[in-house]
Amino acid sequence: MRNREWIVLFIFVAVSIATSNAIGYKTPIGKSLPGILILCGIAFVAVILDKVLPIKLPMIMYCSILGLIIASPISPVAKIVIESTAKIDFAAPLSIVGAFAGISMGKNYKDFTKQGWKMVIIALVVFTGIFIGSATVGHIILKLTKAI
Amino acid sequence: MEEYKYSSIKERLKKEYRIYIAAFLIIVISDLIGQHKIPIGPGVLVIFPIFYGLIGGTLLGPDLLKFFKKEESEAASPLVLVAIAPFIVKLGIMAGGNLSQLASMGPALLLQELGNLGTIFISLPLAMMLGLKREAVGATHSINRETNLALISNVYGPDSDEMRGTLSIYIIGGALGTIFFGFLATLVASIGLFHPFALAMASGAGSGIMMASAATSLSHIYPEYADKIVMLAGASNTLTGITGIYASLFLALPLANKLYSILDPVINKKREEETYEK
Repeated sequence: MRNREWIVLFIFVAVSIATSNAIGYKTPIGKSLPGILILCGIAFVAVILDKVLPIKLPMIMYCSILGLIIASPISPVAKIVIESTAKIDFAAPLSIVGAFAGISMGKNYKDFTKQGWKMVIIALVVFTGIFIGSATVGHIILKLTKAI
Repeated sequence: MEEYKYSSIKERLKKEYRIYIAAFLIIVISDLIGQHKIPIGPGVLVIFPIFYGLIGGTLLGPDLLKFFKKEESEAASPLVLVAIAPFIVKLGIMAGGNLSQLASMGPALLLQELGNLGTIFISLPLAMMLGLKREAVGATHSINRETNLALISNVYGPDSDEMRGTLSIYIIGGALGTIFFGFLATLVASIGLFHPFALAMASGAGSGIMMASAATSLSHIYPEYADKIVMLAGASNTLTGITGIYASLFLALPLANKLYSILDPVINKKREEETYEK
């Protein structure tokens, strides 16, 4: 996508997040605006980095790493970034993600019903096993390293 | 050079405007309905606006209500990435603000990836008993998100049996994973065996959207830890994104293949004999 397309889409997403945060979490749009601009601004920088840097990492990774650096103790703007983005409930940006994901899943409905019960059982066993496995290892290591 | 799908922004808006209008209406309605908790057995199904969007969007799709054409449904996939980017930034900021605590949990965050491996011993034999052959290796070697699709298609080829297995779990994960992960997190939490931080880390195993669902559910059960849960789940999801592909390639796939070669003579040969006798 061209940078201009990203900008237009991020503006739409920003408006959506402001709307969700206002309706779902009762934060006036004016109050959530600085935080939303920071989130979408950093996401746009991630898009640019993904295009210009020679290392091939998923764009999402740059979002995460940039957010981490900008809010870390070494960053001079950490305080203002953390304070303004704290006004946005962490679930508010998810409503629009769900809407887009739902629309894109519409085309998979037939495939999904065709997969059959066997694959559904295997999928649920895989998901459950991985969740419990990760929680078990995480819990043990947290105990061993005295983090909990 | 990057290839562009549309010749201009105008063309993009012309082709996709119905998606934006519908998506905006969906979020307004979803957020008005708000969150609900439904107790099911020992767990709680916490329903968020994100689920209404998932269900509403699917209903409007080409296979059911036919409001969206197939092309529109396809055009919405890249939009998910745009929408989830600010959310991931938010998780990064939460992690950056809690860096010292994150560092103290570093070893657990890194090693919990190994927890994925145990499930292969259960899921692979089950898949083979249900009649799957090489598809079983693809289906059960990992949680099968985007990175695994890329990996399996790279190792075995896009038309391989292994790829079919991976793809099946990927599609089911996309359709059911978000809702299932949210419920699973509360169900496992209700056993009371695991510290909320360990559960938070486990929430990071799947896609960003599965992680969000599980972490949001957990933060409802442990409101006193809500911020830390979301921060840890996000950090775990990012780390899994980096380490997961290596864990799959060097640990999970060899393990699944080894187990397959051991079980193949036992399960598949036995089945062939039974079919022959009939």
